[in-house]
Order: sequence, then structure tokens, then C-alpha cells
Amino acid sequence: MTEKIKTDFEKTVKTSAFSEKDVALKEKYLNRFIENGFPSRKLENWKFSDLNQIIKKNIGELSFYNNDSLPNKVDTSIFVEGLEHNKIIFINGRVEKIDFTYEDQDKIKINDDFKFMDEFKNSNSLLSLNNAFANKCYKITLKKGYSMKKPLVIYHTTNEKIKSRNLNLRLEFELEQNSSLRLIDLFKDEAENNFVNIFYNFDLKEDAILKNYKIDKVINQNIRYSYNNIEQGKNSVSETFILSSGSNFSKNEINCNLKGEYSSAFINGIFSLNNEQHHEVRTIINHLIENTKSFQLIKSVLGKNSKSVYQGKIFVDSKAQKTDGYQLSKAILLDETSEFNAKPELEIYADDVKCSHGSASGSLDENSIFYLMSRGLNYQQSKELLINGYLLDVVEKITDSEIKNLIKSMVGISE
Amino acid sequence: MLKINNLNANIEDKSILKDFSLNINPGEVHAIMGPNGSGKSTLSNILSGKKGYEISGEVLFENKNLFELETEERAHKGIFLAFQYPLEIPGVNTNIFLKTSLNAIRKAKGEKELDAIEFLKLVKEKAKELKFDEEKLNRQLNVGFSGGEKKKNEILQMSMLSPKLSILDETDSGLDIDALKVVSDGVNTLRNKDNSFLIITHYQRLLDYIKPDFVHVLMNGKIIKSGGPELALELEKKGYENFN
Repeated sequence: MTEKIKTDFEKTVKTSAFSEKDVALKEKYLNRFIENGFPSRKLENWKFSDLNQIIKKNIGELSFYNNDSLPNKVDTSIFVEGLEHNKIIFINGRVEKIDFTYEDQDKIKINDDFKFMDEFKNSNSLLSLNNAFANKCYKITLKKGYSMKKPLVIYHTTNEKIKSRNLNLRLEFELEQNSSLRLIDLFKDEAENNFVNIFYNFDLKEDAILKNYKIDKVINQNIRYSYNNIEQGKNSVSETFILSSGSNFSKNEINCNLKGEYSSAFINGIFSLNNEQHHEVRTIINHLIENTKSFQLIKSVLGKNSKSVYQGKIFVDSKAQKTDGYQLSKAILLDETSEFNAKPELEIYADDVKCSHGSASGSLDENSIFYLMSRGLNYQQSKELLINGYLLDVVEKITDSEIKNLIKSMVGISE
Repeated sequence: MLKINNLNANIEDKSILKDFSLNINPGEVHAIMGPNGSGKSTLSNILSGKKGYEISGEVLFENKNLFELETEERAHKGIFLAFQYPLEIPGVNTNIFLKTSLNAIRKAKGEKELDAIEFLKLVKEKAKELKFDEEKLNRQLNVGFSGGEKKKNEILQMSMLSPKLSILDETDSGLDIDALKVVSDGVNTLRNKDNSFLIITHYQRLLDYIKPDFVHVLMNGKIIKSGGPELALELEKKGYENFN
């Protein structure tokens, strides 16, 4: 891989407009990545999902060079209907369009030469890879007191022009005091067997609200990694919802730093997997000051040969008295070949805290199926109704009713 | 309508029903009384198609071999079981469930499926008859319902689906007197020359409200005596142990 990645890096530098300083910085990250390689199961965080093996097995040799100088045509048929929204469109990793039509233009700042943050706490070699290859990093700032009128949908799309490629996407968001953003990440791939590596950094100032909904629904053979770093000031709220269902492999990491008093973080997720799919959600919530709160609910429905992993860590600093931390993960295994791994971790250094975790897994209740079938529903209908019901409370946690309804219709869940 | 001939049922080598035979004609109400463990619930489970029993013998429903039908097909043909312990189904709205069930059966019968408005009209009417709190129809199925409400919900489902053969498995247990009356009224409303009932109970009390045509005493998996409503009174007086 080393020779290939070096050649691809040189090609990337040649076709880009990086300054000398940028190139030097990127080279540093490249070398750091080469030194560490893709994360493997030797690392505690990756013991359930050996990315190095997964890439080898599913893709073989990756190509890291992407010619970003040529634009792609935007396929407007992918746009979400029935929801007025702003757009950022990624095609094959290139930002094709940024459209904030519905917003006051002086309340949003978009900056495209934002310099990468050196390191996030708890990150990994994939950040170095992202730093080395990401072409442009846009930073979007919501000005003080501004609540975006319409949601922002980020379309993550690929087309058949690429294969066995590594794509690196990067965005920065700053939510100034008392501003709010509703952000939907929508994944839609036509290309297969690529490795997509996404980093987002959110900086939430006092009273800011972030709602991020990640929808990976359409079946595809790609390998996806997504990392959200969320810094939270006083009284800020972050809500993350993950529908993890479409990709062949997916790992979502959420690292949340509750730095301001009365800040809170909510993470809710659904895994709905089948046929050899393997998905993971790993969360780290750092309670760093008094009176912060976190809540997590993750549910899995696992079909034949599929596997889901939930690693959830709650860290409570010695200063963080009155922390309220909760996490629950549950799984329904539909087949004896399906697998669910949960690793809850509590690391608590304060003495006046309320923290709990739980995890449960089992099969669909045969008695409930019999009950429904005795009312004339066939096995498939009964199963679907039970699974719908099982997942409904996760979707109900979505606080934005407009988006909740959208997601319900996407998932096919009815009330 | 229902012919059971020499039905034997085992569960894990334990014999539960032994050469059980029973004949129910259209319009008849049969009561089966028996002590705990006599095989009453096994009988109702087998008739509804619950898996897990080793079965021999013959059960015909309208001259069709019942064992060739899946649980839902039996429901489509008009068999209804009111559960002794109705299940709580989290996340499933009672109305949606009722509508899905009703339309599944209507579709199987070749009838037109009801749209939301037609359905709501019907369900509201039935709920009112049964003094079933309408607000509960918008809640998750049986979740947080009291024992009595769950049983009433069974009878509501029964009256929505208007089955040919209704099996009531200890529907009276856990009901107060008022609820017992409401439930009985529900059954009596549905009673006509075509519909039959199999009422499984421990106590004679329910039979004061729903007058059976036949009473059978079930002990150790066998009917040991059959008779008219007077048999229930005799049983109540003597108790199961001294009966025989």
C-alpha cells in the first residue's frame, strides 16, 4: 500500500492548488497514516471491526487519488421531496454544490480555506488519512442568535465513475451563541466497493442546538466510516440520530465533549441489517463539568449473517458532579447466524452522579407472533409489525416532528 | 361446524389431551369446565394453531382438516381465540393493529378492505357498545392496560371480526362484575344461529350471563361428563375433586 499511497499523494498534490505550506502539513499527516495504517483489531476500539481486514477482503487495493478538478453533474432526482431544505452535495467526495437558498445570507458564513484542526481527542489514523487527502474543508458558521429556517441536507452520493477508491470528506461547523442547525446526512451510492472516510467537527457555543440525522438506508457495497466530534458550550444541546442500514460496512463514531454547564447530548440509533452487513456505533461522551446530561438508546434488528456492534463510553470527570448519564442497547436476532456485540463502559471520577447502562438481546417473541397471527396476519406481517413496534420508540425520540415524519416514511414505520 | 375426534396432544412426552372428542354445531354454545392443568388452554391453543404440540387425531372445521391450515388461515376461516393472557405489543398502535387484522380477514374472504374512515366508524361503534375507553384505541396494544381492559379488548376484537367460532379461554378470570356483564353482552350480541362459541372457564358465574347449550367437564385431558347448564351448577356445588 505504501508505494501506491505515496504515488497517489503526489498525483493529488500536482492536480490541486495547495500552497507549499499546505503540502508540507499534508505530507506530515500522510506519513503519520503510513506509519499506523488502517485501524486493526489490535486496537481496543477496533476489536469488533477490523477495518484493515475488512478493506482487504472487500476492496483489495485502494486507490487514493481523486481528480477533483472536473465537476460532476448533479442528479436532481435524488432530492428529498416534500421538505424544503438547504443543500450540500457531495459527488464522489467532491463538493458539487452548496445552496443555502432558504436562509438569511448575512447570518451564515461559508469559508472554504479552513485549516484542519491538528488532532481530536480519541481519534485515529483515519483522521490523518483524511487530513492528507481531503481536498477542501468548508467551514460553515451560523451567526449568533440565528436559527436556520429550513434543514440542511447533505447528500453523500457517488456515481459509477469510481471504484475501489478512498474518498475523504471533511466539514466544520460553528454554531455561535443561541443558533441552531438541523442537519440530515443522506447516503446514496451508485458506486460500489469504495472506502468513504468522513470527518465532521461541530463547535456549539452557549445555548446552541444541533440536530444531526444520519440516514444510511440504500443498500450498497461500500465501506463507510464517519466521525463526529462535538464540542458543547454552556446550555447547548446536541441530538444525533443514526439509521445504520444500507452500507456493507459502516462505523459511526460520536465523540462529544460536554464542556459547558447544563449542556446535554442525545444519541439514538437503529441498526437494521441483513446478509453479511457489519455495522458499528461507538460513542464517547465526556462529561467535563457539573450538571451535564447524556442519553443514548440504540436498537438492532439483525437478519442472517449480519453483525452490529455498540461501544458506548460515558466518561465523568472528577469536576463533573451531578452528571446524568444513561445508555441502553437492545437487539433482536432474527437468525442464529446474526451477532450483536455491546460494550458499555462507565469511567467515573466524581461521586455525585447518576449513570446507568443496560444491554439486552433476544429473538422475536413467538407468543406475540402467535397472537398476531391468530388475528389473521400472516407470519411476515406479524414479524414486520413487531419489528416496527420495537423500533418505533427510537424514532419517537427525534424531537423535530417534520424530520421525524420524514424518517418514519423513509424507514417505513407507521405509528 | 367443529368436529374433534380422538384428539391426543403431548408436550415433551407429557400427555395433555387424551382421546378428546367434541362436536359443535352452528349456533351452539359449549362450555368446558375443568380444574387447573386439565388441558383447557392446550385445547384452545391447538384449535388456533399454536406450534409446539405433538398431535394425533382429527379436527374438522366446516369439514376441512384444521391441521392443514396455518394460524392465520384459521382466523381467515372464522376461528377466533380470546386469549387467557392477551399479549402486550409495544410500539403497535391498537387501532392500526385492529385495522390490519380486520382487513387481512376481509381480504382473505374476498370482501372489500375498509378505509380509515369506515374502519374508525366501526371501531368507535363497537367500543361504545363494550364501554371500551376510546382513547385506549390510540395507545400501544395492551401496553399498560389493566387485566379487565385487556379482556375487553379481546372481546372488542371478536366483535370487530365477527368470527364463526369464538373460543373464550378463561375470559372471565380477572374481571369484576360490571366488566363480566359487558363482556357477556358482547358475546350475546354476536350469538345467532350461525355463530358458535366454546367457552372455557373455571367458574359457573360466567354461565349465568352467557347461557350455554352444553356443559362439559374436562379432567386429565378427557371429557368425563357432558350435560346441560345444570351440570355447571352441580359442579359448583360439589367442586372438581368430589365430582365423578
